[in-house]
Amino acid sequence: MRLLVIEDDPLIARSLDQALTPLGNTIDAFTHCAEAGAALQRGHFDLVILDLGLPDGDGLSLLEALRERGDTTPVLILTARDGVDDRVRGLDLGADDYLAKPFSLAELEARVRALLRRSQQRADNRLCLGALCFDQELGVASLHGERLDLPRRELCLLEGLLLHAGSITPREMLENRLFGFGEVGSNALEVYVSRLRKRLQGSGLTIRTFRGLGYRLEEGVR
Amino acid sequence: MITVDGSLKARLAIWLLVTVSALGALLLVEAYLSSERAAERAYDSQLESAALTIAEAVQWEGGEPVVEVPAAALQILATRHQERVFYAVLDADGDIVSANLEMSIQPEWRRQVTERTVWMHVDNQDVDWRLHGREFDSAGWESQDPVQIWVGHTTEGRQSLTDELFEQAVTRFLAMVLLAGLLMLLTMRVALNPMRRLRRVLRQREADDMRPLDARVPEELRELAETLDSLFAHQRESRDALLRFTADASHQLKTPLAGLQSTSELALKSDQPDEWRRALEAVHSGAGRTSRLASQLLSLARLRHVADGSAMVRLDLVMLLRDTVMDWAQRDVASGHDLGLAELPDTAQYIHGEALSLRELIGNLIDNALSYTPPGSMITLGLVQHDRDVELFIEDDGPGVSPEALERLHQPFERGGRQDTEGSGLGLAIVDSIARRHDARLSLVPNTPQGLRVCIVFPLTAQEASP
Repeated sequence: MRLLVIEDDPLIARSLDQALTPLGNTIDAFTHCAEAGAALQRGHFDLVILDLGLPDGDGLSLLEALRERGDTTPVLILTARDGVDDRVRGLDLGADDYLAKPFSLAELEARVRALLRRSQQRADNRLCLGALCFDQELGVASLHGERLDLPRRELCLLEGLLLHAGSITPREMLENRLFGFGEVGSNALEVYVSRLRKRLQGSGLTIRTFRGLGYRLEEGVR
Repeated sequence: MITVDGSLKARLAIWLLVTVSALGALLLVEAYLSSERAAERAYDSQLESAALTIAEAVQWEGGEPVVEVPAAALQILATRHQERVFYAVLDADGDIVSANLEMSIQPEWRRQVTERTVWMHVDNQDVDWRLHGREFDSAGWESQDPVQIWVGHTTEGRQSLTDELFEQAVTRFLAMVLLAGLLMLLTMRVALNPMRRLRRVLRQREADDMRPLDARVPEELRELAETLDSLFAHQRESRDALLRFTADASHQLKTPLAGLQSTSELALKSDQPDEWRRALEAVHSGAGRTSRLASQLLSLARLRHVADGSAMVRLDLVMLLRDTVMDWAQRDVASGHDLGLAELPDTAQYIHGEALSLRELIGNLIDNALSYTPPGSMITLGLVQHDRDVELFIEDDGPGVSPEALERLHQPFERGGRQDTEGSGLGLAIVDSIARRHDARLSLVPNTPQGLRVCIVFPLTAQEASP
């Protein structure tokens, strides 16, 4: 993947480069709005990581110009300003995600992966995480390229979890998917989750429970 | 925002102008009437003396009155204003003895004259005449019949005298208005002087001078000056608080920075990769702690800055709690803990609050719990519905806090006697200040069997409170 990093602090720019390159990405880094704008018009990028406080102007104007051109490249905003107004304005202008400084590199990597995956999914209509894939058109799941035969409710659950891959899928949402809007026992969902957990054993994927909140499909054990 | 709404001078001037004009109009009407009266009096006495002069000239010849009107009488009647004059002498039967004009004397008038002397304005051939009639007892031997003498003239003289008198009154009046206006301007200058003085005092102040005002002001400006003084006092207090806070904050920031500096310095002196690794780990956690401290300081400063309740709205605490915990559960810092929600009430719990600061409050509670409990600890948030309020709680099964330290926990930079964690001691101070703004009660109690339970009781909004 080709990533464009627009960040004027050399220390942060270097650590972004060092963190994201090993994940198989090519990084183009710029410190000024003008250079970055020119680069964006010339070439195609898969993701833009944009710092807001740049020496030659506000990153938000760059974002605005990008979206006005009809360019839908995912944009992750990075900033020391964490006021809600700034966040809302950035997202309104068409940013896809927002990360406030200071941030941990692990968190940044997770966000970048999620954004790249989402844009990939938009392109080929498949939900994937690690070795697990779900074809939304055919309604077929596969693990390591092999078709996974699942009962209807487990398939529903898998799709729900994959739709939110990388973040928590709320429990209510999964219950509605699986059982409709009727009353269900408090552990009915847990039964299906543990069945799916067993099937995923050894695949490198786990389902983590968040008490009272929901479930998250995770890649590897951190 | 300052909106300039007219000037005091203009307002005073308009009021003065309106009252003076109304009063002036009344005065002028009265002046005209009195001029007219004066002119009438002056000319009536001329008519009277003319009548007397004619009366003296009446002679009796064979029981009949005969009159030779003296030139003096006519001269009295006609002044320099070229009036036309009239006289008539009538005998007891009403026949004309002598007259200069064809002006008929009505029988009605004649009857009136027998009772008393008559003054009247008469319209003759579209000209206004002033007539005077009176009866004289005849001084003859043979007859006792009275004679009536009528005199009159047109009113040019009266009119011009009236005009003259009125003109003088108007001139006097205008001079007075002019003088009063000048005096008013002068008075306003003098009266508004204290305001100018106050303005000068304020303008000369240094931007950071928050001392009480030192100025002489009249009673009317006392309130304004006192308000300014109390404003200065508030500013002084908040500036002092800010300075104290900044000093505290710098001190707090210096500690972890010093740690970073010494750790990295030691590592640079060493040539052991193991040492480097240990140092890097220390630097990493120190940097994390410092940045967390910085963001907490920022949010505390922001909370103190935004003191008005403009952003307060009716919101559902259930939804807000779920969202915020969801957000925190996914963060990297929470990955080592079991952070979760207890069963929430089925219905929405509406409170009057500010979503942003409530998120901050919940976030700080979670952040605190994460930093003061060992990894793997169970942290649970939840809501308990009461009659008129709703209790937000967070409990953990960590080591807890000693009862004497519980008391001091909500002070800034207080860490409950612990120096071993990543905490800054600001979290609960932030929580406390947000809770106060929402009229909520904060309490800290030991959790059973171990750990800490923090409760914040919010009043429910009126329409949702059960009776």
